[in-house]
Amino acid sequence: MTILCVRFQLPPMYEAALPGLLGLLEEFTPVVQALPPDGALADLRGAERYFGRTAVELASVIRVRALALHGVDCVIGAGPGPMLARMALRDARPGVTRAVAGDEVRDFLAGKPVAALPGVGARTARTLCEYGLDTLGRVAAAPLSTLQRLVGARAGRELREKANGVDRGRVVPNAVSRSLATERPFTRDELDPGRHRRALLSAGEELGARLRALDTVCRSLTLTVRYADRTATTRTRTLPEPTAHSAALSAAAYGLYEALGLQRARVRAIALRAEGLGPAEQASHQLTFDPVDEKLRRIEEVADRARAKFGPRAVMPGSLAA
Amino acid sequence: MPGFTHLHTVSGFSLRYGASHPERLAERASERGMDALALTDRDTLAGSVRFAKACAKAGVRPLFGAELAVAAPTAAAGDESVRRERRRTPVRGGAFIDESTPRVTFLARDGSRGWADLCRLVSAAHTAPGLPLLTWDDNHADGLTVLLGPDSDVGRALAAGRPDRAARLLAPWREVYGDALRLEAVWHGREGTGPGSLRLAARTLGLAAEQGVRPVLSNAVRYADPGLGPVADVLDAARRLVPVDPAKGLDSGEAWLKGEGAMLAAAERIVEAAGFRRETAPRLLEQTRATAAECLVDPEDDLGMGSVHFPEPHLVGAGRRTAQRTLASRAAAGMVLRGHAGRREYWERMHRELDIIAHHGFASYFLTVAQVVDDVRDMGIRVAARGSGAGSLVNHLLGIAHADPVEHGLLMERFLSKERVVLPDIDIDVESARRLEVYRAIIGRFGTERVATVAMPETYRVRHAIRDVGAALSMDPAEIDRVAKSFPHIRARDARAALDELPELRELAGERERYGRLWELVEALDALPRGVAMHPCGVLLSDASLLTRTPVMPTSGEGFPMAQFDKDDVEDLGLLKLDVLGVRMQSAMAHAVTEVERATGERIDLDAVPEGDPATYGLIRSAETLGCFQIESPGQRDLVGRLQPSTFHDLVVDISLFRPGPVAADMVRPFIEARHGRAPVRYPHPDLEEPLKGTYGVVVFHEQVIDIVAVMTGCGRGEADRVRRGLSDPESQGRIKVWFAQHAAARGYDAETIQRTWGIVEAFGSYGFCKAHAVAFAVPTYQSAWLKAHHPAAFYAGLLTHDPGMYPKRLLLADARRRGVPVLPLDVNKSGVAHRIELVSESSQGEAWGLRLALFDVHGISEAEAARIADGQPYASLLDFWERARPSRPLAGRLAQVGALDAFGANRRDLQLHLTELHRGARGGRGDQLPLSGGRKTASAGLPDLTPEERLSAELGVLSMDASRHLMDDHGTFLKELGVVSARRLREARHGETVLVAGAKAATQTPPVRSGKRVIFSTLDDGTGLVDLAFFDDSHDACAHTVFHSWLLLVRGVVQRRGPRSLSVVGSAAWNLADLLRVRQEEGLEGVAARLAGADGSRDGDPGDGPARRRLAGSDGRPAPAGSAARDPMEDRRIRMPTGYEMHPWADLRPAGEGPAVGRKLWHQSPGSAG
Repeated sequence: MTILCVRFQLPPMYEAALPGLLGLLEEFTPVVQALPPDGALADLRGAERYFGRTAVELASVIRVRALALHGVDCVIGAGPGPMLARMALRDARPGVTRAVAGDEVRDFLAGKPVAALPGVGARTARTLCEYGLDTLGRVAAAPLSTLQRLVGARAGRELREKANGVDRGRVVPNAVSRSLATERPFTRDELDPGRHRRALLSAGEELGARLRALDTVCRSLTLTVRYADRTATTRTRTLPEPTAHSAALSAAAYGLYEALGLQRARVRAIALRAEGLGPAEQASHQLTFDPVDEKLRRIEEVADRARAKFGPRAVMPGSLAA
Repeated sequence: MPGFTHLHTVSGFSLRYGASHPERLAERASERGMDALALTDRDTLAGSVRFAKACAKAGVRPLFGAELAVAAPTAAAGDESVRRERRRTPVRGGAFIDESTPRVTFLARDGSRGWADLCRLVSAAHTAPGLPLLTWDDNHADGLTVLLGPDSDVGRALAAGRPDRAARLLAPWREVYGDALRLEAVWHGREGTGPGSLRLAARTLGLAAEQGVRPVLSNAVRYADPGLGPVADVLDAARRLVPVDPAKGLDSGEAWLKGEGAMLAAAERIVEAAGFRRETAPRLLEQTRATAAECLVDPEDDLGMGSVHFPEPHLVGAGRRTAQRTLASRAAAGMVLRGHAGRREYWERMHRELDIIAHHGFASYFLTVAQVVDDVRDMGIRVAARGSGAGSLVNHLLGIAHADPVEHGLLMERFLSKERVVLPDIDIDVESARRLEVYRAIIGRFGTERVATVAMPETYRVRHAIRDVGAALSMDPAEIDRVAKSFPHIRARDARAALDELPELRELAGERERYGRLWELVEALDALPRGVAMHPCGVLLSDASLLTRTPVMPTSGEGFPMAQFDKDDVEDLGLLKLDVLGVRMQSAMAHAVTEVERATGERIDLDAVPEGDPATYGLIRSAETLGCFQIESPGQRDLVGRLQPSTFHDLVVDISLFRPGPVAADMVRPFIEARHGRAPVRYPHPDLEEPLKGTYGVVVFHEQVIDIVAVMTGCGRGEADRVRRGLSDPESQGRIKVWFAQHAAARGYDAETIQRTWGIVEAFGSYGFCKAHAVAFAVPTYQSAWLKAHHPAAFYAGLLTHDPGMYPKRLLLADARRRGVPVLPLDVNKSGVAHRIELVSESSQGEAWGLRLALFDVHGISEAEAARIADGQPYASLLDFWERARPSRPLAGRLAQVGALDAFGANRRDLQLHLTELHRGARGGRGDQLPLSGGRKTASAGLPDLTPEERLSAELGVLSMDASRHLMDDHGTFLKELGVVSARRLREARHGETVLVAGAKAATQTPPVRSGKRVIFSTLDDGTGLVDLAFFDDSHDACAHTVFHSWLLLVRGVVQRRGPRSLSVVGSAAWNLADLLRVRQEEGLEGVAARLAGADGSRDGDPGDGPARRRLAGSDGRPAPAGSAARDPMEDRRIRMPTGYEMHPWADLRPAGEGPAVGRKLWHQSPGSAG
């Protein structure tokens, strides 16, 4: 139980505070992995000896410091590996760190529903439940071959290992966050494509601005349309080139939206997620002879600076201003 | 001619478009000084008859018309410029409803020719696939006036600023309709040039002047009164299936039935805008008036109201003779055939009936019905006449009615007499499963030009209104669902009153403000038609002129021709309606008989089962009559238990007594007292002994009232029947009383006798029951009870296959288990498509037959799949089954879950895995590689098998039945902890004892009862039997919500005993047992105790003393003041029947919640449950 999984209780849209909080963790150990938007994994193997305290004690120190320095509370789970730390986090409350010791792993896991295991999504969980393997204890007891028949050879093997408490993951420092998301809710059932497009445009603008602020680009874009009956449609498209250019993001979002061909669907929210984030300097960019593209990017740069100075609503597309 | 005539008015019959009823429109027209009013509903004439009647009442001349979507002339269809590209199919939510076709108003002008043209056009429009659309080829008529308004192609061209195109589009219209063409100007005060704008109205006027077409002014009325714009918005939203969007333009609120002044003002604005002098405005009104004056269609002469049309005699076997002669000879033949030839009374009665028939000229009608019955019987379908028609000997002789009316003392006069002027009506019952076959046969016999089914408008009641308004107001669908289901099935206009008064809605009433305008709009939708369906039994039969009198549309499923009029309209129009009722019990009995024959070879003729069978009456007297026709409801089981029938006549009386009338008039108790000799039989006068003897002096039947009146006054029975009908009307009741006293006195009866007799006749009112009905009902009742007594397995197989009655299937299954019929699980190698019987054991005592569950009960199985599985039997292995039966993957999974594949080895989860791989293999094209080992057995994959709970859960989910055992069996320990009394042990309970009972809710009703209070009756099933519960007013505050909205109930109550077999529990507190079970599991008994101490049920410990009574009790804690002092507000709203019988306003409705539980809902959903 030397790995901590920390979730800071950040209000939504305050991801920008995360780097500062990560810095706080880095005072204890250099091995810190960010789990955006609001979490982090920290490997305290060296720190325990250095500070002369156990991981659970250090967890209390971290919480106190986060509250004192940043005014942010946090929830902490501790376990022998990253997976177990994450699962422990689910049982933790502010002020109560849940620690799973190495010898109680099997008991800890046995009663958990399969969906609690990191890496088991809704689909796999449904498949497993259909066959009566609804707890990790039952998964661990099932023959390997049967599991592999259910979910595939590799996934089956990994599932069995995880269910038995074998945690092969490690904490990878400096792993960049993998996605950024934003959502535009509507106050009523919205059918008007014009207003849908406005939402997409504003979401694209926001994602672009946030990506550029982090000096990152995204490789693909995911559109989620939520309906009044609480169902949703999700579509993903890979961008022609990794980018943080708002116009390119909005255009891709329009494309995704048009493909749905929505007419009478009662849309309650539109969410856009930029995925496959990577550092901006490693991104390639196809130059064109068309000066418009170049101009747009320069205007965007200027607008970003204006926004940095005068606030996020200082510069925006005309159609969003109304 | 003063007043403005609205030529373009739609009523609520324009589905989800018009917001006012035709009656309201007629009333308002009269109030606003109009002499005439047109009704031009969208695509329908369904409102015409009501409108005509309402107009006659209001003193307004009705004009008839319709608004139809008209396709462009073929020449213009080649116009590529307006064709739009096809839109992508939406991934969610569906496409927009396309309402882009231009609409035109047609008015019937030329008397019956105009009406016939209108019918033809409407019928033709409905032949189009999809939405009704009149093709240009059908668009011609001599008797119609046509209004081209803003929504027509011409109006649209004008709105688009293309007068040239408008002129071009006008040409084909002028070609067809010439002088009968009008241009319609509408001003709703809108901006721009669209429909309702001043500029479009002015342009219309301009075009009219330029082209020499006469203009008219209209207001395109959608609602009768101002302020109904928001209702129109909701209707638009409901029709287009989108939410109301204020940004997209709302209804102008101007489309109401404006008076002359407002219309003159509108005319002035329009003519000025069109560039004419203001003084020309009256001329526009004059044109409108002249157009209205031309339209002369008389409801009596031209619609054919009040006259009768029968199929031509040659179609019903009359050949060259007259219908009357044919009927007489067929009746005489029937006399010989049925062995009555030697009896004089039969001949006399036959001749008397034939005279009456000849008097009305109804011979064709009788021949028509006889023809239909013969055809149905030839098809091998069980058929029986019901209703007053069974009282006619001629019907019996023609083979229409089974029961011999002379023997049972049934009267022709109840059915038809010289004095009675309304159309007689004979209803015939056929097997429900084959009802549509019967329809096809009738259509085949008489042809589509003479036969049509009858429409049945589905109107808004509270639940649908909430759903549609909620969707229009963008409410959360889950929230809408919750609110809608909280309500009982009441009228929409009572929504707010119900919120105020009903205890089960108290919670919802607390948050009513949250929903804003919802309630107001819900009430505004009250009783507006929201759709139209085929009436389940009515068939119109007429001569070849049917289609000129009735617009016909195809029904959605089978494509039968369906008249747009409903059953009342049809009677007003003088169209002959034959009611062909599909009776599921007839199908069930037919299935049972075929099953017995299939399995044993024994042929049962149900119509010839021995009368007076002791075993059958023994079963009926035991009150274990679940599934028996007419006597299975809790109230009937109670009555049967008290009445103890032993003859067919007892059954007839029993059925007649269990009606709202007799129950209300308190005829049940005296009858039972007299029957068991506990009270003497009394007659008001010795002369009345004859008619009243059979029922111990209690008036039960209509026939008896007729006889009493006839005997006392000396008038004929025909007249007496008219008098009996008059009794239901308080006005005529007074007159009848005087008349009755006079005539009876003249016959020498003393005043006291007259008064006593009148008291009986008056109290009886129009209630009671027609004995002919009761006799017709009692036949299948006896037959079904006979089957239940002698062939129980086959009986249950029939019941489960055709699902008749009021109880869910799982209750029938529990009943079968209780009666010792083994229930055999589903097995793909043994189960048939329908439920079957199977020999379980043979011994010296006889054969034991079991009930094998059917494939078609499996959730989501298609007919083809079921047939394929049954045809391919037997299967050697799972692979064999998969390859030959080719079930879909989900279906195969469900079959495995319920154990239908258990024969192939391995446990049910392993089977599922194998099926998945077979499915994957088939998809991946891996060929026939065997994932199985061990030959025919399936290898185990080591998955955990379903637990017994999961099996039961799967059965409930897949079959909606707990097939392997009763679902309450699992809760035995907890119920024992609580000290719950089982239904079996309850039979020994003392009267007045307080008990706890528990079970799955089977049926809940709030029928009208004598006291005028609302009583909730419910039936619980706990595996050992049924417990009938009653909740009275004072417990509703505490219990109503729980009773309506839970599936498993725990109830505290007091035992009420009224006879050896009659027992019920009066509930005082109720808890949701499913909740308690969960609490027991999670928190132990302490949790249960906390729950019982707190939230649910009555809060303190005194049983039978709910909050209502406490509220009434004085502050000193003494009992509540009785009688008038203790009135609660609801009593003011009590519905008072003409005879003084009071009904609770919320009684006799389908209660809140979702009806009896089926399937899953009875089972907690555990994360590990299969599927």
